[in-house]
Amino acid sequence: MKIVVLIKQVPDTTEVKLDKKTGNLIREGVDSIVNPDDRQALELALQLKDDCQAMVTAVSMGPPQAVDVLSEALGMGCDAAVLLTDRAFAGADTWATSTTLGKAIEKIGDFDLILCGYQAIDGDTAQTGPQIAEYLGLPQACYVDNIENVEAGKITVTRRNDEGYERLSLTLPALLTVSKITVAPRYPMMGNLIDAGCEDAAIQIWNAVDIGALNSELGMEGSLTQVVKTFSPKTKRAGELLEGDVPEMVSELLGKVRQAHLI
Amino acid sequence: MSMIRSDSEALIKKTMARFVDEEVIPKAREIDESGEFPYDLFKKLADMGVLGLRYPKSVGGSGGDTVLYCVAMQELARGLMSLAATTAMQCLMATNGLYLYGTKAMHEEYLYPALKGEKIGAFQLTEPEAGSDLGNVRTSARKTADGYVINGMKTWSTNGPKGDFHTVLCQTNPDKGLKGLMFFFIPTDTPGFSHSKKFDCLGTRSSTLSEIYFNDCHIPKEYCLGEEGRGLDVLLTILAEIRIMTAALAIGLHRAAMDDSIKYCKERVQFGKPIGKNQLIQAKIANMAVNLEAGQLMVDKVTRLVRDKKSCLNEASMAKYFTVESACSASDEAMRIHGAYGYSMEYSVQRYYRDNRFLLYGGGTHEVLQTTIARQYLK
Ligand SMILES: Cc1cc2nc3c(=O)[nH]c(=O)nc-3n(C[C@H](O)[C@H](O)[C@H](O)COP(=O)(O)OP(=O)(O)OC[C@H]3O[C@@H](n4cnc5c(N)ncnc54)[C@H](O)[C@@H]3O)c2cc1C
Ligand SMILES: Cc1cc2nc3c(=O)[nH]c(=O)nc-3n(C[C@H](O)[C@H](O)[C@H](O)COP(=O)(O)OP(=O)(O)OC[C@H]3O[C@@H](n4cnc5c(N)ncnc54)[C@H](O)[C@@H]3O)c2cc1C
Repeated sequence: MKIVVLIKQVPDTTEVKLDKKTGNLIREGVDSIVNPDDRQALELALQLKDDCQAMVTAVSMGPPQAVDVLSEALGMGCDAAVLLTDRAFAGADTWATSTTLGKAIEKIGDFDLILCGYQAIDGDTAQTGPQIAEYLGLPQACYVDNIENVEAGKITVTRRNDEGYERLSLTLPALLTVSKITVAPRYPMMGNLIDAGCEDAAIQIWNAVDIGALNSELGMEGSLTQVVKTFSPKTKRAGELLEGDVPEMVSELLGKVRQAHLI
Repeated sequence: MSMIRSDSEALIKKTMARFVDEEVIPKAREIDESGEFPYDLFKKLADMGVLGLRYPKSVGGSGGDTVLYCVAMQELARGLMSLAATTAMQCLMATNGLYLYGTKAMHEEYLYPALKGEKIGAFQLTEPEAGSDLGNVRTSARKTADGYVINGMKTWSTNGPKGDFHTVLCQTNPDKGLKGLMFFFIPTDTPGFSHSKKFDCLGTRSSTLSEIYFNDCHIPKEYCLGEEGRGLDVLLTILAEIRIMTAALAIGLHRAAMDDSIKYCKERVQFGKPIGKNQLIQAKIANMAVNLEAGQLMVDKVTRLVRDKKSCLNEASMAKYFTVESACSASDEAMRIHGAYGYSMEYSVQRYYRDNRFLLYGGGTHEVLQTTIARQYLK
């Protein structure tokens, strides 16, 4: 079985700061990490590797330093990694990102399963996975939290929704987006991290030419959307939940209202 | 395309930092108060290959070196000193003699399992009459036809009561003093081995320390670790590394004390402003920061010298002396910054204050280190 996991390098903060002038993320001084959902996607892939000797390839598109998330993926036990990096990829919206990743997956070829995170903590759109599935013409399931089994060209997964769980069966090859799995993703192994830093590490670096993409399909040029303005939403006052039995909560509430000189 | 690769040292630091933040810090107080060594965390570290950081893959290690080992120990000490100290010992003192001088069979039986966290090692120099003065070691190793018989006692043995095997400094010939010293490998299941009950200590409370007794312990001749009479040389091959590892532990604890202090300086408001706005508090933070930076540079320099097999015992002694004193001062200042709350078990600074004292003794007391450092200049 051949699995491709798409992982994104994101800033280590849920409070992303924006440059007021350009509207872009301010990345300086903020540590970069593997997007948390993607770490979970890696864990599910590596569990399949443990169970049925899958070959797992991690892929990331980003600037050269995004190689760090791929090294971590190798650290966790992935067999190979591909970094897609090229100035031509810069400024991509989710459409151009999906096209780029889709073309890279086509080049890898011969895959049975593609795993993505459900959502990136910086871009936050949750569009990339589904768009790649469309691009490649694959069945997809989003918000998957468990892979129950893989058998006879089919994969059975569960995902949580408001009512409970859904169990879905998909024909392989398929694409899953992953979130909220029940186990903690494994930590990278020291020996693998050491190997990942070596020249002969199993990391390939591909540019636009390598994946056979035209500049018109990539980056800013290939984007269907343009960000006009980015801003932080004004935070509303936080609510407060009182706990206890009813008389307790009522007297606490009255106290608070009095304290605020509202009565 | 051109080579784009990660810096493994930075990745190891980051991975260990995440492990410490997620797995160690949330449990540190509970572990310290229980007094029980956290074997579950130790096993997790083993599974990540941390115990084998200094050893090649050919013996089940991770293929790293002293630099990476000390980077990992620094982070671990930021979380919990007991865990860091035992891990550091397993990586170095408890296993190095076995690695260098053990037979293939000994590697199979003890080294591989030790690096997987399945067997625990201990390292025994100290005796009631031999602390700084190792020439006074009296635990005896008497040669027999097929091996040695060990008799005597050791004290202050980290992992002593829980260890599966021990690297023990013994005297093979009392007339020869330091030149009669030799290390021996003694498995716990050797008949005649026993230990006292666990010591009750000020700090590193979840480390397990005790006295160890050897009563006619027969061991085969392969358990002599190195050439007879060269025990001091064997110790000298890792002494710089022991000292710089101790310095790395001090750096980790210093950082924890400083991080907590900075946080508290911003949170605690007195006289209508955060206490960090007071110049005397700022002076404490500045001193912590300057000492930490200087100590970090020393550690980074000496770990590289050790890695590159350059002689650096004096530099390692200076680094150990400076960083441990700095961490003592930082944990003391952290207690003051926290006011009465620093005195409460609720806050971690009291633990840093207690735990750091342990670093003062192992690897050479600071009185002895100052003497040996000065000797380099007054000779
Ligand atoms: C070099 C670069 C420049 C950019 N410039 C701009 C810009 O100028 N304007 C703008 O609007 N946006 C820009 N982006 C952001 C980009 O549009 C989004 O990050 C990207 O489309 C993914 O969307 P998302 O973050 O919402 O991810 P989501 O759709 O929420 O991510 C879902 C999952 O898709 C996968 N995935 C997403 N992105 C990647 C990736 N890069 N590599 C591998 N897997 C991935 C992961 O598995 C992830 O969990 C840029 C991104 C890069 C890398
Ligand atoms: C928590 C903990 C764990 C330990 N774990 C181990 C272990 O696993 N294995 C092990 O072998 N040992 C261990 N030790 C023991 C440690 O190595 C010794 O404490 C250390 O070697 C010092 O010996 P001592 O305590 O007997 O002090 P002493 O040597 O008795 O020193 C007492 C005082 O006299 C001073 N002094 C001694 N000689 C001189 C001199 N020549 N000049 C100036 N001043 C001098 C010392 O600096 C000190 O202030 C541990 C100790 C602690 C606290």
